[in-house]
Amino acid sequence: MNPRFLPSTRREFIRRGTQGIGLLAFSRFAPQFLVQTTLAGAPAPERDRRILVLVQLAGGNDGLNTVIPFSDPAYHSLRPTLALKKEATLQINDTLGLNPGCTAMHALLKEGKLGIVQNVGYPNPNRSHFRSTEIWETANESSDSVSTGWVGRYLDNACAGAPSSADPEAIHVSSEVPQTFGGTVPHNTFGLANRGGAGRRDDAKLLERLVARPGQTSPDESPNNTFLRATMMDALVAEQKIQGLLNTYKPEAPYPGTDFAQSLRNVAALISAGLPTRVYFVSIGGFDTHANQANNHQNLLRNLSEGLAAFQRDLTARKLDDQVLTTTFSEFGRRPNENESRGTDHGTAAPLFVMGRHIAGPLHGTAPDLKVTKNADLTFTTDFRSVYATVLDQWLGVPADAILGSTHSRLGFLG
Amino acid sequence: MVHVVASMFPTMTPDTAWLPLPAAAWTEDTARHLLRRAGWAARPEQVAESVRIGLPATLERLFPVAPRPLVRPAIFSHVEKRMVELRSLKRACATQLERQPYEREERELSRTASADLAFQWLQAASQPDRSAYEKWHLFLSDVYVVGFEKVYSAERLYRHLDLLRSHGAGSAPDLTKAVSRSAAMNIYLDLNRSSKKAPNENFARELFELFTLGEGNYTEDDIKQAARAFTGYRIDNEKGKELQFRLSERDADRGPKTLFGHTGPFSGDDVIDLVYAQPAAATFLPREMARFYLTDQPLPHSFFAPLGQIWREQGFSLRELCLRFFGSSVFYHADFRANLIKSPLHYYLGLLQDLGLDVTPLPRTTLQPLRQMGQSLYNPPNVRGWVGGRLWINSSTLAARRQLAATLCQPIEEEKLNADDRLELQVARDAGHGRFNVDEERIQAFTSLGPAGITDRLCDYFLPVKITAAYRRTVLDYLQSAPPGDFEAQTRRAAITILQSPGYQLC
Repeated sequence: MNPRFLPSTRREFIRRGTQGIGLLAFSRFAPQFLVQTTLAGAPAPERDRRILVLVQLAGGNDGLNTVIPFSDPAYHSLRPTLALKKEATLQINDTLGLNPGCTAMHALLKEGKLGIVQNVGYPNPNRSHFRSTEIWETANESSDSVSTGWVGRYLDNACAGAPSSADPEAIHVSSEVPQTFGGTVPHNTFGLANRGGAGRRDDAKLLERLVARPGQTSPDESPNNTFLRATMMDALVAEQKIQGLLNTYKPEAPYPGTDFAQSLRNVAALISAGLPTRVYFVSIGGFDTHANQANNHQNLLRNLSEGLAAFQRDLTARKLDDQVLTTTFSEFGRRPNENESRGTDHGTAAPLFVMGRHIAGPLHGTAPDLKVTKNADLTFTTDFRSVYATVLDQWLGVPADAILGSTHSRLGFLG
Repeated sequence: MVHVVASMFPTMTPDTAWLPLPAAAWTEDTARHLLRRAGWAARPEQVAESVRIGLPATLERLFPVAPRPLVRPAIFSHVEKRMVELRSLKRACATQLERQPYEREERELSRTASADLAFQWLQAASQPDRSAYEKWHLFLSDVYVVGFEKVYSAERLYRHLDLLRSHGAGSAPDLTKAVSRSAAMNIYLDLNRSSKKAPNENFARELFELFTLGEGNYTEDDIKQAARAFTGYRIDNEKGKELQFRLSERDADRGPKTLFGHTGPFSGDDVIDLVYAQPAAATFLPREMARFYLTDQPLPHSFFAPLGQIWREQGFSLRELCLRFFGSSVFYHADFRANLIKSPLHYYLGLLQDLGLDVTPLPRTTLQPLRQMGQSLYNPPNVRGWVGGRLWINSSTLAARRQLAATLCQPIEEEKLNADDRLELQVARDAGHGRFNVDEERIQAFTSLGPAGITDRLCDYFLPVKITAAYRRTVLDYLQSAPPGDFEAQTRRAAITILQSPGYQLC
């Protein structure tokens, strides 16, 4: 049995046509992009498009032990067991240092490829994982009436009127479609497993045969059945094409074996293949460090750091680094004072990272004020939508205020 | 693809379409069609029982005279009590800033309560003997739409849904009048702000356009006049009368109005009576039913006139309309078999029933997949409700459907759940609703049928579409090509695939 039953390129499609599967057999439900490219010739993928990679640190990353204010006595008194001393940190300047897990990111920082936006949050912080993630993904904190994501609204704007294609507009490497992909109109988005590529290939084999082989449906099937098979086939073709790209990818820099790094390897594979996809969403979990945080958190940051650095090195070697901006976010930071279990509870503002070829300086925004009472939280000084507005405006080149539905000051990390 | 209609019904005219299905045509096949359309799935025991008792008796059972109420979720009493406390806490606040934490808590409470309401309903709707009425209830809530995002109180939402179900077997004018007094509707369409000095047209417009008549069957002036008649509708906040309707005489416009050619000092109820005297009122709801239950290709208007005539003579009884509609010849016409795309709710509840599973009481495995498939319960996109049909389907929603089928057919990863979630599962198990997934034993039992037996069961039990020999062959080949020792896994994969396949998206 031919495991690659579906054609994944125009050439292969036509070649198979001569072998008897035939254009006619497909004509009622040929994948849309195959029909278009057969008629019009395959358009060259756009190589100069700017791409955004969003990295979610799920669970709520502890900002104070990521970017460490080692010179502030308040930090040490808030965290009798978790505080890191100056010598233990990777120094950024006289007052701040990175967590010792962040060696690779520290190097990027020195190379001008990484920036830190400090103390990012929003008014009236919510400490529910679910709700706060929703706020970050929709870019709306004031009411529940916005359920579209800010990326989805960007796609509404950027992809309006563009010819539809089987290639996804946005790809997520996470088990669930992130809410941020939801637009006012449906978008062609695609989910990858973090390992082994485009989901469960073994599972899709039978499905491919049932939708694509001739004779599988009765001649008088309903128009809706035809429509469903066509849409399903589009999705399977995209899946197969992506799987092929992932299988054959040879990174220019070694990636660690972690799920997170492998996710980024897959993103690099698709970017270097020239997919027209504009937004990638990658998730790394485990940041909900309520107990015995120290080692755990350092390991998480090491995974983050080494994955990001491998990705950036790979892109640089391929000269794709000027096309890609990577930003991190987490639903909230953690409580300034540690708890009784040597961990930290849900908090508010935290720093986030931006990574690219040219990042204008290591630090943006201002550091948090640590003069807080017990169990009180940090007050944000940079609104998270300022980060989005900067990315939308200055990186993706779209009207940020319209997409965000409000106006926010721009930051300087892109120069 | 409107052409489908032009060439159809060689043997059926508008006059014969709504005649009862001949008893001889009531077979397992037609019974399955009814059960999949009126409810979510055709369980074998239900099919057998329906065939045994006949179509009229089956319909009597599916649409009871006194439908079962939806139990008010237990959490509501707690929420209500806390809401009262929060209101007085808020009153004591001097500034907006001080009020904020209380407002936030109110929102959280509302969300939790609405999620509980959703679970309660999903559990009721997943019972095969309740499915038809629960789906009818869903249909009515898709006509008389309110959205939780604006209504914002689970209690208001619950009471709105409760009145839809308690009036759902009664007369349509009574239902519409009850809806005009519903707290949720008053807020959703701004009736509570409408006064003699400033009549708000929102409710009057949707009453005509989306609830009773349809576009083109009223004038802009009819709306203006009707809006005046619905002034003074208020919802009580007084203790002990919360959410009860009252008419504020001070705000009500008692002057003469002229609409649909009649003049008088009409009240809101008078307007609703005038609406149901319009010819379009007799065909509007039947047409909506056809769109929801029968076909997304509109039927010719001429088909609805005879049905509307009968319905009017029956005093617009909703129950009689159901019995006539689901008992008619046209409902079973060949063109309407396996032609309708399941809504996400139908897909989910159909999977549960086809697989004999219970609702998993976790938002992550129920409400979230529903949202990803495009149907966020209690939050329709707008006052028109869900359009449905092909709009349900795109690469993202299809991926979400495939994911859901795979999730339900695989063991639940309980070690990854947090303590609260595990507790929810335990509570459901203790209540005897603990079959959340297709477990090993059931797959093992299934494998004993052998490749040919499994193929037949998968194709004939799950799929409403006609199965070709080539299709059967493809499934059989796949099962027979299982690597040694992998037959069980291959069987599971085949079952998941059939549930993901285009044919299973139809009913």
